[in-house]
Amino acid sequence: MSNSSRPHALISTRWVELGLGVFTLLIGAVVMFGSVEQGIGWGDAGPEPGYFPFYIGLLLAAASLANGVLTVLRWKPLSVSFVSRGEFRQVLSVFIPVALLVFAMPFTGIYLASAVFIAWFMWRDKVRAKPYGLMMIASVAIGAVLASYLIFDLWFKVPLDAGPLGDLANAAWRRFK
Amino acid sequence: MTEFDSLLQGMNLILTPGHIGLMVIGVLLGILVGVLPGLGAPNGVALLLPITFTMSPVSAIILLSCMYWGALFGGSITSILFNIPGEPSSVATTFDGYPMARDGRAAEALTAAFSSALIGALAGVLLLTFLSTRIAQFAMTFSSPEFFAVYLLAFCTFIGMSKNPPLKTVVAMMIGFAMAAVGMDTVSGNLRLTFDQPSLMTGISFEVAVIGLFGIGEILCTVEEGLVFRGEHARITPMVILRTWAKLPRYWVTIVRSTIVGCWMGVTPGGPTAASFMSYSIARRFSKNRDNFGKGEIEGVIAPETADHAAGTSALLPMLTLGIPGSATAAVMLGGLMVWGLHPGPTLFAEQHDFVWGLIASMYLGNVVSLLVVLATVPLFASILRIPFSIIAPIIIMICAIGAYSVHNTMFDVFLMLGFGALGYLFKKLGYPIAPLVLAAVLGDKAEDAFRQSMLFSDGQLGIFWSNPLVGSLTTAALLMLFWPLIGRGFSAIRGWGNRHSIKAKAL
Repeated sequence: MSNSSRPHALISTRWVELGLGVFTLLIGAVVMFGSVEQGIGWGDAGPEPGYFPFYIGLLLAAASLANGVLTVLRWKPLSVSFVSRGEFRQVLSVFIPVALLVFAMPFTGIYLASAVFIAWFMWRDKVRAKPYGLMMIASVAIGAVLASYLIFDLWFKVPLDAGPLGDLANAAWRRFK
Repeated sequence: MTEFDSLLQGMNLILTPGHIGLMVIGVLLGILVGVLPGLGAPNGVALLLPITFTMSPVSAIILLSCMYWGALFGGSITSILFNIPGEPSSVATTFDGYPMARDGRAAEALTAAFSSALIGALAGVLLLTFLSTRIAQFAMTFSSPEFFAVYLLAFCTFIGMSKNPPLKTVVAMMIGFAMAAVGMDTVSGNLRLTFDQPSLMTGISFEVAVIGLFGIGEILCTVEEGLVFRGEHARITPMVILRTWAKLPRYWVTIVRSTIVGCWMGVTPGGPTAASFMSYSIARRFSKNRDNFGKGEIEGVIAPETADHAAGTSALLPMLTLGIPGSATAAVMLGGLMVWGLHPGPTLFAEQHDFVWGLIASMYLGNVVSLLVVLATVPLFASILRIPFSIIAPIIIMICAIGAYSVHNTMFDVFLMLGFGALGYLFKKLGYPIAPLVLAAVLGDKAEDAFRQSMLFSDGQLGIFWSNPLVGSLTTAALLMLFWPLIGRGFSAIRGWGNRHSIKAKAL
């Protein structure tokens, strides 16, 4: 990280290349391990279930290793910055909220989490000369969620998980009826 | 029955108000995903898949294929007006399309792009109409070794011909194969690679991977680049359309050449992106107005657009006849076919006659409908792009999450989508291709079945892949394709050595 070409660089490309190489190597190893459990040889009914995936894992691991070697061979040219600090902050400012949205969904249901997510995303946009009004935020967030309810749940009969809140609303609706 | 009769039958089947309505909806949705950053044809189709389960296969394929055409058209709108390719395959259109728009010739550029795209698409469908039955009949004689050899050829072509580093293509492809192996083994019924996790028992669906890799990954890349949409305005009037159409015949050589390049790249797994780049560079090399290329030359819009659409439509030829998709979007559609319980491949033509010809007939009509719809709605879709990113982005992310959830109705798929999103961002930045991963994830099981059956026939001898001339030449061609980068380098080294030698000889 110290000898990157730009002062605000967060990390150089070679480390990311190596990191991803290690990750794919691990996947290859896991696939090979899982296949060995199933048997990779020749059984009574021909090839055993792990026969084909084992070689897939082997190829994956070998190609990842070779990629790693190539990265080391091109060590100098790959010292260019992968992403600058400012750019990565931008990426995280989207990725972290998405992660929060995904982790909140099982507890709150799809609708509530999505509405809050959209509203928060709009509210924190301070780059604009004039921030969005409360009415605007509420109408976009609720409108988008309502539209997805109408399209998926009602129109195409693909039920979306409404979460505990949805169950509560359902129960209340039944009691009311 | 001749192709023409079958086609008429197909036309009969699809000429109902319901199907034409589906076409218009598909095209509109397609243009929308083509225009929006972060959504493209592959994940647009993947997002729509769950809602097609309640439809008949013919209606479903009309909706999905029209979405594909719409997305191809939509990609050129953003390329020309905003200098931002909505689809990777319309990158080459920005080179001359955007300069034309800045000169105030946006309407002309758009009309030329859409019209030449229609010509390319229709050429691709003609190819499909007259070749598909023959190829399917020929492929009927295939047994498992031949099928595996064809799959091998497709995968090796991807590795050898890709612009990405070959080893990275291998890594992406093997991840796809590994994904396909997770879950129930189709032959023995064993649960593979699940490590006793109940959520892995149903396997990892390719739809979730597509939505994460293309959708979330794309959004992250867009955010990093800090894109701001500052576009040119365009209003297409009938006068401009007629004037541009009057100009088109002058470029017939370019159109014919681009069509051939497009069809070839579409049938072989080169895909629309490679086709449009290749066609653009060939057009520049042979054009009289060579110096004007890159500064707003209409030929530079016609060439990539014709090839892009010719490749997009002809990519369905190997998908329908052999079960091998020529592009990422075709791969997702193929997955859809399997989900609906159809078996892509030569038997499809015998068993699902109505489905196949309904699809082919809908391709003629769908592309014409696309042209009309896109000409009429350019201002509308251009204004969608002017909606601020802070409104569009969260809505796209929500749609992606809902799409991932609705594949199996599990939250686990939404987590997976997040992981694939991060992977997609890294892949894109480090030059790993995504299309081979999708292709392998969709075809993995079929390729494995073909391989295992061949091994059963031969008692584990790999020699079965050279046991007759047909399978032998397919396998050899596959290996040639795989090592093509090395072979090419070897050739140029020999030639270079020879040249140096002869120069030396002359000097003496």
